[in-house]
This record gives sequence, C-alpha cells and structure tokens, in this order.
Amino acid sequence: MKDCKYEELIDQYLLNKLAENQKDRFEEHYFNCSSCFEKMTERDELLRVIKKKGHTIFKEEFLTEEIRGASLAERILSFLTPKQWAFAAVSAALILVVIFAFIPYFKTIQPTFQIVSEETRSGKTIELISPVMDVNVVPTEFKWAKSDKELEYKFSIYNNGNVLWTAKIKENFVVLPEEIRSLIKAQGKYSWQVKAFSSQGTLVAVSSKVYFRVAKSE
Amino acid sequence: MENKKPDVDLEEIFVKYRPVISFRVKKSLGARNPDWEDIVEEVITNAIEKIQKGEFRGESSIGTFIYTITSRRIVDYIRQKGKVLKHAPEPADYPDPQESVENKERVELMAKALRKLKPKYRKVLYLYYYKELSREEVAQKLGISPRRVSERVNYSQKLLKKFLKK
Repeated sequence: MKDCKYEELIDQYLLNKLAENQKDRFEEHYFNCSSCFEKMTERDELLRVIKKKGHTIFKEEFLTEEIRGASLAERILSFLTPKQWAFAAVSAALILVVIFAFIPYFKTIQPTFQIVSEETRSGKTIELISPVMDVNVVPTEFKWAKSDKELEYKFSIYNNGNVLWTAKIKENFVVLPEEIRSLIKAQGKYSWQVKAFSSQGTLVAVSSKVYFRVAKSE
Repeated sequence: MENKKPDVDLEEIFVKYRPVISFRVKKSLGARNPDWEDIVEEVITNAIEKIQKGEFRGESSIGTFIYTITSRRIVDYIRQKGKVLKHAPEPADYPDPQESVENKERVELMAKALRKLKPKYRKVLYLYYYKELSREEVAQKLGISPRRVSERVNYSQKLLKKFLKK
C-alpha cells in the first residue's frame, strides 16, 4: 500500500488539531481513500485504548514524568520528607522567636566602656596630656588633647577604681578644686579618664585610663 | 462525451461507505449522541435515492458525493438542535460508552500489549497520544527527530497488530 500524503493528518484529525478547512479537506479525502480510512480507524482504536487505559498503561511514565518534569519548587519540596520539613519549620520558627525576643533587649543595652590603659580600642580616643605618670606633688590641673569639634568633656578621677570626683567642662582641661586635692594622698593609686559627648549627649570619644601616684600629699 | 448515468454499485455504498459515514457522524456529533445511527441510515437512504434519481452525474467521485450528503446532514442536524453552526460540535468523548463486550475484551488485550511495549515506544505513545504533545514537542523532549517520533508510533502500531493477531 503506497503512502498517501494525507496520512500525516490522521493523528491531528483524531486529536482535533486541524484547522476547519484542513479538517473538511481531510474528511473529504478519507471518503475517497480507503487506505487512509483504514489507517485512521486503526489509529483511532489505538488512541481510544490509550485514552481509556492510559492510567494503567503508563504507570512508569507517570513516575518518571513526575521526577523529571518536577519544577524547581517541587524538587526542593521533595528534598526532605514532610516530617523533616515539619521539623525544619518548627526549628526555624523557634530560632526566629528567640532572635526576635532578644532584639529589643540588645537595642536597649548601652555600650559600656571598660577601659584600662593597656586596652586597644577602635574608634575615637582622647589623648591625655598630663599627668600621665607618677608625680611628686598633687597636680592642680589635668589636661588632654582638644577635639576639633565642639564637645562637652566629662572628667573623672578615681581612687582604687572608685570615683573621687567628676566634672563636666567645655575646655580641654580641668582644675581640681581644693577639697578634692586634699583627698589625694601620697602613695595612693589614682587614675583619671575623660569622655567626650556631642551636643546631643551621645558619647563620641573616650580616653584611656591613666594611673598615677603622688609622692607627696598636700 | 455522451451524457450517461455513471455506473454505481449500490451494494458498495452499504458495505464500503457505512463505516466511513458512521465514523464521520460519530466524530462530528459524538459517540454518546443517541441519534448517530439514525443519521447514518438517513444518509445512506438519501444517497441511494439521489443516485437512483440520477442526481449523481459523476462530476465528482462517489466518495465526495457521499461526503457532501453526510456533511449536509450533519449541518442540518446541528441546526435543528439549535447549536451554533460556526463552532464544530464537541468531539467524541473517549471512551465510547456504547462499546460491546467483545470490544471491551479487545481494549483490555490492547492495553496489555501496550504495557508490554519497550519503554522507548511507550514513552512516545504516552507523550504523543496521552499527553497530546505535538510531534515536534515529543521529539524535543526525548531528544530524537520528529521523523523518529512518527516511526516509533507506526512501529508500535505494527507490534500491536501482530500481538492482536496471535
């Protein structure tokens, strides 16, 4: 049986894929071509069986199709079992709860400066000018490097870590009042530190803590 | 040329064209349509009457003559039923609910044969007929040429025929 050029339209006709005029032409053709009609009825039978029994015939194909044709999302989903996904989701939720519970706490904590002379710190520091070592007499004036900006300084003097006196000043030096000078004793261990604040009151620079001893008290 | 009535074997119309007319009617009206058999009978009767009246003058083939009668009857039927002519009627549903027991057995047998086909053939049938992808789409999916797709479909059909003849 010689192949007919209309044969290639059989499948499209059966699957209703032909345009209206093509369909009419093909229909007229199979009324005239017994070869095409015979082949078409065979194909039609095959197609009917496939449509009717496809779910049992193509079990294997369904399976591979699912695996191969799975979208990225499906692949990700199939990466873990539902139980594992549930566990992962609960863990992630717990972690988030913990993080969010602590965020406000972290925000309220002010930065604390535990400054000792050996400490190396990043950020702005204030250079202390004098006294920076042991002195013979009780110093009257404490001086530090002036910042290029308009800042307010907080001067603190300590005795064995306890605050002896503090003062807020605009200048880069402070004169100890008489009553404070009288508190400074010979051989006592003293230290001093300066912190600088912006006009908004935020801490912008800190000096290191410098220790000194006095040979002779007042 | 002498204006002579063409020689038409009426028996041929019954035997040869009944399945063709039936196929065309069922495809257009749907196999679920209870009227399809009546329409086929009407078409055959009408064709015989026209031939006997000498309306078939051999200007076209007998196939085209019967095709035209069939198409007109289908159009009339659709018009009578008040359906919109511009749109083709719904294609026949799969499967045919009127199939006989014998036919059901044949379907089972074919399904069994299809299950036994090699995966490369089954895959083509699955994509081409079950999923209704185009020949080119199937070819692309399987990394073969469109021509190879057709070859595999044809070969599957041949194997199936062989199996059914056993």
